[in-house]
Amino acid sequence: MTLYHFVGLGMALFAIGAAGFFIRNNAVVLLLCIEIMLNAVNLIFASFARFLYGTEGQIFIFIIMMIAAAEAAVGLGIIIALYRSHKTLDMSLIKDLKG
Amino acid sequence: MTSEYLWLLLAFPALGVLVNGLVGSRFRETTVAAIAVSSVGLSLAVALGFFWKMTTAAPVARIVATTLYTWLSDGALQIRVGLLLDPLAMVMVLVVLGIGFLIHIYSASYMKGDEGYRRFFVYLNLFIFFMLLLVLADNLVLTFVGWEGVGLCSYLLIGFWHQKKSACDAGRKAFIVNRIGDFGFILGMLLIIVVFQTVDYRELATIVKGSHGVSPGIIALMALLLFMGAMGKSAQFPLHVWLPDAMEGPTPVSALIHAATMVNAGVYLMCRVSPLLGQSPEVILVISAVGLTTAVYAALSALGQTDIKRVLAYSTVSQIGFMFVAVGSGMYAAGIFHLVTHGIFKGLLFLGAGAVIHAMNGEQEISRMGGLFLEIPATAVAFIAGLLALAGVFPMAGFFSKDAILWGSFEHFGMTFWLVAFAGALLTALYCGKLFGVFFGPKKYDGHLHLPSRLMVWPLAILAAGALTAGLLGFPMFTKDTVFARFLGFPATALTADAGALHNLEIIMTVLQGVAILAILTAAVYMFTKKKDRMAALGDAFPRTAALLAGGFGLDRINDVLLVRPVKILARFNARIIDSRIIDGAVNGAGYLTMFAGRLLAGLQTGQLRHYAFSVIAGTFLVLGTALYFAGLF
Repeated sequence: MTLYHFVGLGMALFAIGAAGFFIRNNAVVLLLCIEIMLNAVNLIFASFARFLYGTEGQIFIFIIMMIAAAEAAVGLGIIIALYRSHKTLDMSLIKDLKG
Repeated sequence: MTSEYLWLLLAFPALGVLVNGLVGSRFRETTVAAIAVSSVGLSLAVALGFFWKMTTAAPVARIVATTLYTWLSDGALQIRVGLLLDPLAMVMVLVVLGIGFLIHIYSASYMKGDEGYRRFFVYLNLFIFFMLLLVLADNLVLTFVGWEGVGLCSYLLIGFWHQKKSACDAGRKAFIVNRIGDFGFILGMLLIIVVFQTVDYRELATIVKGSHGVSPGIIALMALLLFMGAMGKSAQFPLHVWLPDAMEGPTPVSALIHAATMVNAGVYLMCRVSPLLGQSPEVILVISAVGLTTAVYAALSALGQTDIKRVLAYSTVSQIGFMFVAVGSGMYAAGIFHLVTHGIFKGLLFLGAGAVIHAMNGEQEISRMGGLFLEIPATAVAFIAGLLALAGVFPMAGFFSKDAILWGSFEHFGMTFWLVAFAGALLTALYCGKLFGVFFGPKKYDGHLHLPSRLMVWPLAILAAGALTAGLLGFPMFTKDTVFARFLGFPATALTADAGALHNLEIIMTVLQGVAILAILTAAVYMFTKKKDRMAALGDAFPRTAALLAGGFGLDRINDVLLVRPVKILARFNARIIDSRIIDGAVNGAGYLTMFAGRLLAGLQTGQLRHYAFSVIAGTFLVLGTALYFAGLF
């Protein structure tokens, strides 16, 4: 097991998350995709921290996990509000960002 | 001497402007006039004080100078707000304030009841202030400030009755023609700054008289450019076209600005920079030639005018031409002497013309005047005294000053030059005779005459006395060392050739000139005052010549075709093609381009979250990829 395996896995996970974000329509799935991307980054940080014998990467992981928790809380709140106002979670039908 | 009081000369007129200009609307007419007149009067009192001190001082100590503050400072070049009162400036100050004072008094009555009474006196005081600044400045730049200031006041006062379109046009014409001259003035000034690093008159004189190593061509160019400025301000051919039109202004303005003071500024400037002229004989020849051309040309034109003020205006142009002849002959004292006497008698003539016009209810055509002598005798006597002085009849002031100039031109340039100048002097007598027709001969008016008030007659009387006695300044005659020249302190030109023989010739010529002028004048008076107007008949016989003379040889039309119309065509081209197509096109085009780009880019805004997310990711990759590429990682 070398660093390349870990980084490769992280990149693959990030690509899966990003691709999911682009092609899926359900808002909850989009939130899950964001979680996948964040954890892909976490994995890369952890592997660099392990192979470079540093601790900075591990500190970043904690910060990202905190942000992910906060983001999940806020994101779920947004999804509930969105459902209440639009009666749907299909993101392809919601075009409120168009001015 | 008491140089710390010099600024007082300027302060009083400035105070008059401020008081009348800011709070004058609350005053009655008499109060406004009293403030304006007394401000000039106080200045005159100060000037007389300086004059008394100056006459009692030794010739070398006749300079009062003070520096108020340094205006600009750049290494070697120092431009100071400094005042210099030497005998030359003293003479000018006395002319400006003396005649200015009388004209202020006259105006108080002449302008009575005018809507712009207060405005008139504010402008007039402002003019006195700028004229004094012009005269008292000790350097070219400060002189230029006064120069432009009097130009501004001239513009404002020519167009004083701005309801009249002709007055506005005349004001603009004066301003624009003067701009052409000022262009030369500025260039000359800049050249002097670049070459000599100073604008101070006294420093300049010292440098120029020493070994400065500057080529004579450059010095000649400086003098020529400054003379161009003088030509504009002093209405010399071909830049004189504004002066006859300037008669649209109120008559006291014509007397003060366009006869006695401002138009002489060019002569004054030439005397101020006389050290430069002394180094360039070619320029002196140009100045004399321009002066001589103007003198004869304007005298001919004066002959063809039918408006009393326009006759006097062309006469002014002609007389200033004589002054430039004197300056060009190196006879600065004679030039300034003529400036003083001309200021007195031409001021008198204009004020007299004002009184006549006032009496005739605004009539200015000579052909409709006549036989006024018994109706307004005091004005008539004063006016005739002025005419005699202008024609140069012994013993009036003009006789002495013109004689000095004619002799100077003979001595300096020879017979031909003198003949032309003498012809100009004879023409002067001829058009003077024409104006006699106003007072003698058959009556040509009907209706009630307005008698001039006492306030208008007294200045006339004082000026007439001046026109009679100012010639005394030219004594002793037939020498360069007159009272006036000695006061001015210009170095007398040394007579090289057989002085004795020349001296006798000068006396003979003076007598002959005097007799000839008197004869011509008598003949002209006889012709113009006869019942049957012979000159009018002559004009009818040669209508084209008469029209040519009346139109100043069509110079206005030449200017119109050569300058005004091309400029107007260019302006119309700029307005219609350059401005509306190219400039507006560029501005509107920029607007259209922005709108088009906006509409194009607005298509990117879909409202779909995934599109935004994709652009974020794509942007990240783009930036990252570029950074890595340039870092040489792949």
